Amino acid sequence: MKLIFDYTQSNTKHTPSQEKDVDLPEDLKRRSLPLCDVNEIQIIRHYTELSRKNYGIDTNFYPLGSCTMKYNPRVNEDLAKLPGFSDLHPHMPASHVQGALQVIWELEENLKEITGMDAFSLQPSAGSQCELLGVMIAKKYFAEKNESRTKIIIPDSAHGTNPATAAMCKFQTVTIPTDDRGNMDIDEFKKVIGKDVAVVMITNPNTLGLYEENLSEIKDLAKENGALMYCDGANMNALLGISKPADQGFDMMHLNLHKTFSTPHGGGGPGGGALGVRSFLEDYLPVPRIKKENEQFVFDYNKEKSVGKLHSFYGNFGIIVRALSYLKSWGSDIQKVSQIAVLNANYLFSLLKEDFDVPYDRRCAHEFVISAKNFGEKSTINIAKRIIDYGFHAPTIYFPLIVKEALMIEPTETESKDTLDEFAKVLKTIIKELREDPELIKNAPHTTPGRLDEVKAARQLNLRWMPKES
Amino acid sequence: MAEKKFTKEHEWIEKSDQIIIVGITEFAQDQLGDIVSIELPQVASSFKQNDVMAIIDSVKASSDIYCPVDGEIIEINEKLLEHPELINQSPYEEGWIVKIKPNNPEQIDSLLSKEQYDELVGQSKE
Amino acid sequence: MNFIPHTKEDISKMLSVVGCSTLDELVSEFKPRLSELKIDMPLSEMELVSYITNLSEKNSQMKYFAGGGSYDHYIPSVINHLVSRGEFLTSYTPYQPEASQGVLQILYEFQSFICLLTGMDVSNASLYDGASALAEAALLSSAYTKRKDVFVDDGLNPAYLKVLQTYCDGTELTITNTIDENTACVISQTPDFYGNIKNPQGLIEKAHQYNALFINCISDPTSLAILKTPGEFGADVVVGEGQAFGIPKSFGGPYLGFIAVKQFLTKKLPGRIVGMTTDDQGNEGFVLTLQAREQFIRRERATSNITTNQTLLALTATIYLALLGKSGLQNVARASYHRAHLLHEKLRKNGFGAINTNPFYNEFIVKSPKLSEKIIADLMECNIFGGIDVGDNKLLVCCTEKNSLQDIDSYISAVSK
Repeated sequence: MKLIFDYTQSNTKHTPSQEKDVDLPEDLKRRSLPLCDVNEIQIIRHYTELSRKNYGIDTNFYPLGSCTMKYNPRVNEDLAKLPGFSDLHPHMPASHVQGALQVIWELEENLKEITGMDAFSLQPSAGSQCELLGVMIAKKYFAEKNESRTKIIIPDSAHGTNPATAAMCKFQTVTIPTDDRGNMDIDEFKKVIGKDVAVVMITNPNTLGLYEENLSEIKDLAKENGALMYCDGANMNALLGISKPADQGFDMMHLNLHKTFSTPHGGGGPGGGALGVRSFLEDYLPVPRIKKENEQFVFDYNKEKSVGKLHSFYGNFGIIVRALSYLKSWGSDIQKVSQIAVLNANYLFSLLKEDFDVPYDRRCAHEFVISAKNFGEKSTINIAKRIIDYGFHAPTIYFPLIVKEALMIEPTETESKDTLDEFAKVLKTIIKELREDPELIKNAPHTTPGRLDEVKAARQLNLRWMPKES
Repeated sequence: MAEKKFTKEHEWIEKSDQIIIVGITEFAQDQLGDIVSIELPQVASSFKQNDVMAIIDSVKASSDIYCPVDGEIIEINEKLLEHPELINQSPYEEGWIVKIKPNNPEQIDSLLSKEQYDELVGQSKE
Repeated sequence: MNFIPHTKEDISKMLSVVGCSTLDELVSEFKPRLSELKIDMPLSEMELVSYITNLSEKNSQMKYFAGGGSYDHYIPSVINHLVSRGEFLTSYTPYQPEASQGVLQILYEFQSFICLLTGMDVSNASLYDGASALAEAALLSSAYTKRKDVFVDDGLNPAYLKVLQTYCDGTELTITNTIDENTACVISQTPDFYGNIKNPQGLIEKAHQYNALFINCISDPTSLAILKTPGEFGADVVVGEGQAFGIPKSFGGPYLGFIAVKQFLTKKLPGRIVGMTTDDQGNEGFVLTLQAREQFIRRERATSNITTNQTLLALTATIYLALLGKSGLQNVARASYHRAHLLHEKLRKNGFGAINTNPFYNEFIVKSPKLSEKIIADLMECNIFGGIDVGDNKLLVCCTEKNSLQDIDSYISAVSK
């Protein structure tokens, strides 16, 4: 394999040469710069070759549960790259960036309408930073009320970010088990809900792809005890235009713009986060807030209760442009997204039910979880690797942690019936192979690099290229 | 060699003179899979019974190691920092984790015997 | 627009397999049902392009002489062509390494570039932006030293300070103005917000005297082409903003946070890390490694909750650094330096006061002979964004290789009216 550091060529020179050295004291100056020069054509070939070793939604079906890998409309890329946006310096005064502020304001307004929340901040860079912001707001809110609350209640099906966020802010996580219908166990919840609970953090639909059936009772108990209800909106793709989290009783929620609102995942980011709150928490949102005054958009830094700032500027603006564009293209038809996302998940679930163990046999939301435990230990990883041989990306595996040998499948609304049929057929074929030729599956994938040794990677760390002699 | 005691958190304890040696059991190392790193406590730090004193990471899991009794760490197995796989290869010998000077040696008596531990492991295998 | 491929027949066939008669029945569990949604009618692609383009045109594009955390460096054309490839753009975190070798190798190259430039041992695969990278570094220091005080040197970008303060409030760390046995880390930005290049030697010694970590923060990392590396000075952690490496200003984001550490802190790094390994045939390949540090495994024991990062921007920076190479990056740094010094000299001759106490790279601060609002407005008349008003009639001015000699002349003639 060749790394970019393995070439030594003549430089293409993208900017004018500047031979004159800088006039700095020697003790501040760099002595050597251990980089290589590579000509443009070689760079194009190197990275084009690497792109061909990578798998995206554009390549084929990518049913990674909890990640909402839907089609990313290309026009949104063009719009985010319009020079009026991409070339805009963030320190420019409000009077000269009215269009950009309108983009932020309009997205906030649309998200308010979709979720029922009263105010949004688009500063967070991703869902986990939204959670951090939400928990910081809760902490400040209760501190100002002189209430000492030390606990955050989280179901055991939750994403790892939920307990990690609670711990960052020095809250104690109380984990509630899941009942046999896949809901947060209401009896266990009743045992721990009390005046020492700051936040009840719930993903709805939950990570099992199931609508939380006890939500109304949970909300009532939380409110009785003065705790805040936080919705992890990672699964909002099930609810667009159908039900508003604020109406479900949530005081705060976050949206992942890169999931629900189709901004490209980019190999792991950038994402975009949006934290929505009810009006009594609005003043805690980060500054600046963007306000509309007499048809002009202005920055409002004057918020005494604000928790501060999460971003140097106004959030991942390029992602905000894409999300607004996506929302405007669906407009008032947005509920179709969720209806078909739920249809696709239930359809694929129906096709696979007979072949796999089904931990919770209920109608699912936009995703579902099945288990390969009946095929023996480690069959999920083997199935996932074999799926790659058939040209699809694997689902999320071994999550949620409470389901043994879990496969978490989220088809999204942009996949056709044919694709789902094809994927179900592939899974059925793999199960047959598992029985007839287990070695074939254990050594998969066969069409890409072989199975990579993660133990060796962690024990014999090789995390960077080193110059040959230095 | 004194008889080993066990905890339900899958640690083994061996008493020798005034100190105890602590490691994780064969069952625990097998469940964790290939161990890739360990975080050890500082020598001379003190822990209460059931406090987290170390963290063992495998590729896909991270597990707390609890202090089996109240006491002070008097030695750590520094070899594990470079070669965490020793815990997989030799959990009862080369893969020992810490040596502790217990504050209340009587706490050791209330830990599980080999028979009790085997019974526990038998249950969790089901 | 409609991004759903289903025909009516598909939908009815699928509904019958599922055992529902209508789409509405399928979601009947989701309560309470909303009664109405006040959202505009859907737009076709043509209408959308016109609507959004119109908004983009309500912004003013100018000749920028401003930095302050966002830098107007030249972006080679190739970058967009490569980064826009769907295989990169539409992939996600490489959970299945066999289907993600492309992104994984580029992240490995990214980590290598960051180490080479900063003189550090290990880098992660990116964080959100410079400000949150700094906050993560403070959390790392606290986890490593088991201490709670954070010392911040003068001259840190005020927005970074505000973000750091927000993280510290939430995570119960304290920003203090003394260095002592409670100090987890000492943070210093160089070149600092006002452009001053600092020799951190003394501060590093002081930090280490109390067993605190020294964190070096970098705002425009093109400076690393000419400045002695923080690694060589003895920094324990280097964090910064990678936007200068080929990423559009884009009204402040998405940008690219980076963090690099000395060897002994490897396992304390937040976020994704890519490592080289071999496959079952012995061929080299790449995987995400040291994952047991991360939230999805450690849950409440993790030191950071970060999940999604800025991979596509790390790819951008990697391709930028590959394209510029050694000589290109040196050209950019030298040109930025010389242009800034030329403008500084001309401003001084035109009555602006020099304030910087140290040598500077491509940003500097000057005291305006007139009201700074007036100066900025005059420049805007000439379509020049002349700098950031930092109060007291002081302007923070920045140059890059893009600011031509003519632009500098236009700047001077606008302010000497």
